[in-house]
This record gives sequence, C-alpha cells and structure tokens, in this order.
Amino acid sequence: MKTRFGLIGVGGALLVGLLLAGWQFLGRGYTFKGSLIDPAVPAADFTLKDQHGEVFQLGSQKGKVVLIFFGYTNCPDVCPITLTDFKRIKNELGDLAEEVRFVFITVDPERDTVERLNAYLPSYDPSIYGLTGEKEQLEQVWKSYGVYQARQESGSAAGYLVDHTARIYAIDKQGNWRLTYPFEMERSAVIDDIRQLLKED
Amino acid sequence: MKAEYRPYLNRLIITLILSLLIVAGINEGFYLLQKEKTDRAPETIQLVIPDGTAASVAAGEQVLAIPEAMVFVVGDVLEVKNEDVAAHQLGPIWVPAGATGSLVLETADKYSYTCSFVPSRYLGVDVRQATTLATRLTALWIATPTMTVFLFIYGLLVFPIKRPETQKKLETRVEDKNGQPI
Repeated sequence: MKTRFGLIGVGGALLVGLLLAGWQFLGRGYTFKGSLIDPAVPAADFTLKDQHGEVFQLGSQKGKVVLIFFGYTNCPDVCPITLTDFKRIKNELGDLAEEVRFVFITVDPERDTVERLNAYLPSYDPSIYGLTGEKEQLEQVWKSYGVYQARQESGSAAGYLVDHTARIYAIDKQGNWRLTYPFEMERSAVIDDIRQLLKED
Repeated sequence: MKAEYRPYLNRLIITLILSLLIVAGINEGFYLLQKEKTDRAPETIQLVIPDGTAASVAAGEQVLAIPEAMVFVVGDVLEVKNEDVAAHQLGPIWVPAGATGSLVLETADKYSYTCSFVPSRYLGVDVRQATTLATRLTALWIATPTMTVFLFIYGLLVFPIKRPETQKKLETRVEDKNGQPI
C-alpha cells in the first residue's frame, strides 16, 4: 500500500514538473533574434530606380516585408556574402518569399548604373531589387538609414573600394523599421524573424 | 511488488535521497566559492542617449558616463533609447532618432562594438554565462541520477542486501533423484 502511494506521489510530482516545464516553454512569446526597434518607427521613404530602369518606391511595398542592404557591385567580400545570404533566405522561405522584397541599394552610384546592376544581380537571384539613382537622391537615403560610405583608393586594377555599413534592415508590412541585423547574422535567425513579421497583421 | 525486491527499492530510495544531498552540497559549495556579480537572472539594461549627443561626440566630448567595457549575462536585453536628433548605433543595435533599439544577448563572448555615442567610437561588451538558480537546478537534475546509480551499485558491492532467511533456505535446499533432501 505504502509503495503504491509512493509511486502515485512520484508520478504526480513528475506530471506537475512536466506541466510546469511545458507552461514555461509554451508561455514565452516570440523573441526576435535581430536588433529590435520597439516601438516601431516609420521607415524613411525613398524612390529610386531598379535594375530594369523601373521606379521602386519603398512606400508602395506595404503588405510585404522588405530586407534592405547597402553595398556595391565591385565589393570583394561583404556584398557577395550578403547577396548569397539573400538568395538562400529566399530559397529557404519557399512560397513565403513571395511576401518578401530583397533590396540592394548601391553606395557607389558612379559605377553601379542600371545596366551594371542588371548584369550583376542575376548571378545571385534576379528577383533581388538592385536600386540606384542620382548621388543626391542616394545621399538622402544613406543619411536616413544611418549608412556610412567612404571611397578608398586601392591602387589595384579593379579601381577604388568603398567602405560601407554592412547592416541589413528589416521593414515590416506596415512600412516600419523593425529589425536590423549585423553582417553574417545567422541565416536561420533572420528566417525565423521574417516568418514572425509575416504573421503580424 | 514481490517482498524480495522491497529491500532493493528501499535501498534505491535511500541512495536517491543521499545522492540528492551530496550533489546539492557540492553544487552549492562550489557556487558560493566561485560566485560572481554576474551570477544573476537576465534583465533589461537601458542606455539613454540624450539629445545633442551626436554633436557633442563630433566635437570630441564624452556625453555619457559609461565604462569602456560593459559586463552582461546571457539573456540580458540591451536597450538603447535614442533621445537625440540623429540615428545612433551600438554594434548590431541601430536606433533611429527618437526610437528605442534592443537586442537579446544570446551568446557568451567578448565583443568590441562600433559605437556612435562615445568619442573613441568603440565599446567593449562582455557577455557571460550566468549561474542562476535554474542553472543550479539543471545541474542537480543531471548529476543526481548518475550519482544515485553509482552509489547504488557501490552500495550493493560493499554492503550487500541480506536476503530473508526463508528464501535463503529454499534456495540452498538441494534434492536427490527421488526428491529427498541431500
């Protein structure tokens, strides 16, 4: 009899423990992996030209999650890595990628013309928007997004390099700045965050 | 349960309690000996960037009284409230003017972050793994069963359980072909 009560007691304690652990686990809300901007702030709007010469306005992208990266086509390291990440994120999102815009804005308008972007981006993914414009237009966008860019003479045949901010900006479906990611942020973390942003109304 | 198994069950329960006490004693003893200030539960740490910071930093003035290196624990939320008119950044945290940016520090490591609100432009951030009550309970949960098994087997070897006399007699009774005890 005593043994039976003992076993019931142990079983009960285990059940309570499991329930508490489950409640702790399931009760937690989603924690964004990127750096969160909370409360969300409306993202600075801009209008630039894409690689097909068509107008791209950020304000017209409401209802989509927009990932923005600033770089240049002659970049030897950071930009190819980030654009490859964009491609992989898009592939891993599957059908959900339809609701995401991947945007690459140049920090080197002298070389990154519409034609240059059009030739460069298909090697990663043709659906990535490559944006360029007049230097004055772009300077305004760089300033709004806190983007640093500085030309560095390299002395090589490839010409000059451009030091630039390597951050990725995630803009939610309402057009707000919501998250930023540092260079080489874990891809799965970005995907989880995008899925969460897409769930929001 | 068969009566012959009862002594083993009793031994197991006693060993479990003993193991729990030993593991808890060792855990807590070492915890007290090695306790650090960062052995605390994660919390939110807020840095406020006052208005005019960007202009002051551009002039080489220190606006915020923050140490060159900051120590956090895994799970801390680093929150940067930007009351300035310009956007600011602290490593991966970028905060537009008038907004608040936050980041959950998930990995223990030492970081050197670029920082727009200190004249040196760099800020050291040290994220440590805290030993909290949950960590200690996890250790207890992991170590106790192992200790119990070890002590139980050791106990059986060193202090064998004496079987009841009746059972011993039954086991030692040997009969010949005709069923007669030898």
